[in-house]
This record gives sequence, C-alpha cells and structure tokens, in this order.
Amino acid sequence: MKPALIALILAAGSSCFAPVSGASQYELMDYHVQQMIIQAINNDATGLQAFKEQLENRPRPKAGDAAKARPLQQRGLEQLARHALKEALAAFRQAFIADPTDPEIASRLALTYLRLARLKEAERLAVYTLSLAPTHAITWLGLGEIYGQTGDVNRAGGAFANAYRFASDPPQLAERLRQLATAHPAETVRAGARQALQTLKTATAPKPPDGSSAIPKTPPVTAVTPPDRFQAAADPKIADLPATATRQPESSSGNNALPPSIGAAMQESHTGTGQRIYQQSLPRTCLIVTSRNGKTDHLGSGLLASSDGLVITNDHVIEKADNLAVKCGERESTASVRKRSKQPDLALLATSLKSSESFVLNEAYSPDLIGRDVFVIGNPYGLEGTFSTGVISGLREIEGVRYIQISAPISPGNSGGPVILRDGTVIGIAAMVLKKGQNLNFAIASSEVIASKLFDPARMQSRPLASEP
Amino acid sequence: MHLFSAALAVWLVIGTAGLAARAQTIDQNRYYIQQMIELAASNDDYGVNATQQVLAQSPKPQPKDAAGARAAFERGRTWLEQDQVENALIALRQASQADPGHVEAINYLGLTYRKLNRLPEAEMALQQALTLEPTRAVAWFQLAQVYGLQNDTRRAVGALANTYRFAENPMRAEEILRNIAENEAADTLRNAALQTLHLYKLPVASPIVPPLPTNPGILPLNTRSGATPAHRPAAL
Repeated sequence: MKPALIALILAAGSSCFAPVSGASQYELMDYHVQQMIIQAINNDATGLQAFKEQLENRPRPKAGDAAKARPLQQRGLEQLARHALKEALAAFRQAFIADPTDPEIASRLALTYLRLARLKEAERLAVYTLSLAPTHAITWLGLGEIYGQTGDVNRAGGAFANAYRFASDPPQLAERLRQLATAHPAETVRAGARQALQTLKTATAPKPPDGSSAIPKTPPVTAVTPPDRFQAAADPKIADLPATATRQPESSSGNNALPPSIGAAMQESHTGTGQRIYQQSLPRTCLIVTSRNGKTDHLGSGLLASSDGLVITNDHVIEKADNLAVKCGERESTASVRKRSKQPDLALLATSLKSSESFVLNEAYSPDLIGRDVFVIGNPYGLEGTFSTGVISGLREIEGVRYIQISAPISPGNSGGPVILRDGTVIGIAAMVLKKGQNLNFAIASSEVIASKLFDPARMQSRPLASEP
Repeated sequence: MHLFSAALAVWLVIGTAGLAARAQTIDQNRYYIQQMIELAASNDDYGVNATQQVLAQSPKPQPKDAAGARAAFERGRTWLEQDQVENALIALRQASQADPGHVEAINYLGLTYRKLNRLPEAEMALQQALTLEPTRAVAWFQLAQVYGLQNDTRRAVGALANTYRFAENPMRAEEILRNIAENEAADTLRNAALQTLHLYKLPVASPIVPPLPTNPGILPLNTRSGATPAHRPAAL
C-alpha cells in the first residue's frame, strides 16, 4: 500500500486507533506530530497535509492573558540576547503560564530548554507548540535538533524536512540545514540534517510539468503572526543556533589569574577595583544551604579553595545538617564534610565543582594589614552575592584564634564567606559580629586557616602579602 | 493498590445506591475529598475517578438568595482585586451563605482565608468548593498551597496531582508544577511539586541548592528593628 493512502486512512480514522483513544492530551498531540514526521521521512506530501489538517482541527486551548504575557516574552528575548539562559527560561516560562496559546512563546520556551540541554522538556514544549501551529518552521528545526541530540537521526531528519517545507524562506532554511549538517557538534544532528537535505533534494528535484510545486503550499507561519512581534523568532538567521556555535566566549572572570599587578591595580579607581574583585570573586564564592529532616535549615557562605572543588566555610554554618548543598556562581553541587574544627570555627567541604576558579589565601597577619581596603562577598540573610567594602580595623586574638577585625558590613548568612584584599587574595573568613557597636566585624585570619589541619598545600594556594604603594 | 481501588469502587457503588435517598453531609463529602487526595497521591486513577463520580452525584444545596449571592460575590471579588482582604471576606461569606452552591464564591472564600493565613478555614472552604465541583483545578491548586503552608507534603502532592489531572491545559499545569519544583522557596510545596511531576513521569530539573525565599525582613527604613543587645562577638 502506498504511504499516502496509509496516511489518509490513518488520518481519516485516527479516532479508532489506540494512540488516540483514552490517551492524554499530550499523547494525542505527540501522535499527530510523530505522524507528520513519518510522512516527511517518507516524503509523502499528501499524508503530511492530512495530518497537519488533523492537528489544525484539534480543539484550541482556552486563550490566556496576552497582555500580561507580552512583556514577559520581551524580557525573555532580552535575556536570551545576553545569553542569560536561566533568566530567559524564567521569563519565557512566566509568559507561557500567562498565555499558553501563543505559539511564539511556547516555541521560545522549547528552544530555551533545548539550549539548556533539557531535551525532554524541550521536546514536550516543541510538540505542544506544533499542536498550536503545525507549520511553525523554527519549532520543527528545534525539534529536529532535539531528536538529533537524543540520537534519533530518522526523526531528526523528518523534523528538519518539515522545517524546510514550512519555512517562509526555504533557501535560507536550506542554508541553515547545511550549517547544521556540517558544523553542529553532535554527529547525530549533522546526520539528521544531511538526511533532510537528501530527502528535500529528492522531493524538489523533479518538477511537475506544469511548474507547480510537488509540496503542498501552506501559509508560512509569519503570515499568521504579526511580523513586528515575531520577526526574531521567524528569522532562521537569528534563531537559536547550537549553543556551542552561538555562545560568546566566557568572560575573563573564569580564569584563576590574579589581577595583573598590584601597581596596575593601584592605578584603577576604587570603584573599578571593587567591580573587578566582585566579578572575579563571585564565581568562587559559594552559597551553602543546609537541610535537616528534609527541610531547609541554615544558609551561609563559603569559598572555593581548590581546583578540585574543596570549599571552606565556618563550622557553625553546617552544624547539625543532614545534607549540604553548595552553589558557587551558577554551579551547584551536593557537599560532604571533609574536615571540621570548632576552634577555629572552620569546615572543609568536598564538592563536585572542579574548576580553575579558586581563591588564593593570603598568609599575612601583621600590623601592616591595618588600614588596607577589604571586600566582602556573601549571602547575608539570603541576599545572594552581596558585596560590601571596608578596611581592616585591627587584629584580634579571641580565645587563641587570630581574627581580622573589619569595618565592612557583614550579617548572618555572610558566615564562611571570603574577606578579600585588593590583590584578590583572601585575608579572612567572615565569622562574627559585635552586635553592640557599628561595623565591628570579625573574620578568621587566613593565616589561621593555613595553620589548621584543613589546609592542604598540595591542593590549595597561599601567598605572602604584596606591598601596596 | 488495584485491589484496594476495586474494593473502593464496589463500596462506592453500593454506598451511592444506599445514599441516594438521603443527602450526603458536608463531612461525608469532605471525606471523599480526602480520599481523592490520598488516591491521587498514590497515582490511583481508578480510585480518583470513582470517588469523583460519587461526589458529582451528590445533591447540591439550593440557593436561599441567588441574586443576593451574586451581588455579594461581585463585591467580594472586587475587594479582593483591590487587596481589601477583610472586606472581601465579609462579602464572600455573605455570598456563600446566600447560596451554599455558589462554587466560585466558596472558592474565592478559600483563597481569602488563605491570604489571611487562616489555614483551617481556607481548607474547609476549598474542600466545600471541591465537593460542589470535584474537577475544579484551581481549587485543587489552592488547596495544595494550603497543605504546603501546613507542611503536609503528602496531601499537597495529592492536591497537586489532582490539579494536573483536572487542568484545562495540562501543558500549562505541567509548566506551573516545574516552576514550583525548581523555584519555590517553601520546602513542602517545592518537594510536593517535584513528587507530583515524578508521579506523572514528567521531566524536571530539581535544584541541588533550594531557592532562597525573598527576605521578609526587608522593610522600609522607618520600621523599628528588634535588635538585641550583645556585649561579646556573636557567631553570625
């Protein structure tokens, strides 16, 4: 039996078939989308058209709040332009919740999931988008990439072929497929794109004598969506390329280099120094969240102290915790206690956050420090990544432990976080405040950490105090 | 579990026949709501559907003053939109007394009680709304939030599972659940959303580090702080 005939029979009697009866709404959508892919693989334009119409004739979901969704969508696009994928996901998700019937929003959400390598979510949202707009070329392209990344070359090829069939600018889409076929990092995506190009070559090569297209013409998605709103999404040139191809190089804050030289650092304005230290230190500063009996218990701060993910914090931060979770910059890990001591109040945690971004401890503990600028990063009262400045006010020994007294404001939640000098080295670990007073705050001196059993010279770095002009 | 469902179904059918002659009390209906929650948390489709059908067949209360109820409901809704919660409560209570079958008024009453942190009353009102309309997804969702605030994970899971089950747009409900599972700071509700997604085998990326709540202590500068005196350095 010819594929077209099979497709027509399937389409006409779809309600009789198992995937349709008693299935969830998503399974119904998925069934039709998968059928469209199969017809594309078979190069069966009639069957494809039949299933497309089936999908178009499905009951539409109730319209949402478009006015509420639009600014959220715009925010998502802005975040995407900044390569802030998590923030883009949050904005598109809120837009989708506000109006789940806008295919542009649903498609953006799907493609953001794809860029975050959350392929299952991406697939579900892409299928849903196509149930709303079966000719949405960009979503077909995304779905092809999703299937390619999951290793399903055939389905990737079918979805890519549909992207081409429904593209408002087929030559441009073909060029995009050629790019995917040659430059995508995943071999299965490349193979899927090659397969689609081959299918399309077969489909487009023999032109009917009357000059009409062998592929049924369907209105391109841009015809039903206002171009001012959806231009970015509909233009394959600026739509989502593979993350590796489009992502900008990571900022220089990613390396472990200390500032070029103290002299150069001194030439910077105070504000500039603060910004530099903040940007360098943020990915190395950690949020520590403890839980007890399945509930969040305490939070504190910590600092990445080695390239293999060791994190230093205060012992009192992790006291009585059943479980520990650590977030340094944007990366998260569970943690286990490697070493701990009550006096000094320190703990060393092992995490999976392997990175060259670790702090260097400063060995100094001398009056030369007094008056030097310090910078503190931490999570006071859960306000993540709070940055404050001050000076070293004094050196104090309390109950046999050396402390650096600082004027930089710290609060509960700063515990265990780094106190940083202008050269980027850590001079202390924020630990205590004198409540009756103003800016009378204390950090365990790094020299105390270096002298403790927590310090491992093979894995952690320290250096002496650099002179300041 | 299937055996239990079958037994429940038989019991429900017999029970339904027996109860046909007399009105089910509110307490009985609430019992069925609790059953729907427990069965949903166990992913027992059959049991949930059977219980839902029993509830759907139960007699609905007649309005005492339908027009008065409608007017009071509109007033209440307007107050609520303006965040005048106490006024909204008065109006919505009037509406629900004038028409005990006005499901929307009772649903809003539950929402108002929740806003006022009067959780037992919120639970009662939402359960009442659900006895009138057991497939009302929004009431299930609000009930889940109440259970979340009461730190009752199991019942929050059941209520969220029913939210998804009865959602008009399941893909939207799925995304809402993912949003809660990934971003909600309250542990119980976040864990419940996570468990619900797992229950339905829906994808989710659960965060290793739980999201932090917005600090409730951030207040205008003229607010008095409750600082306690200390003479020694204190651990943060």
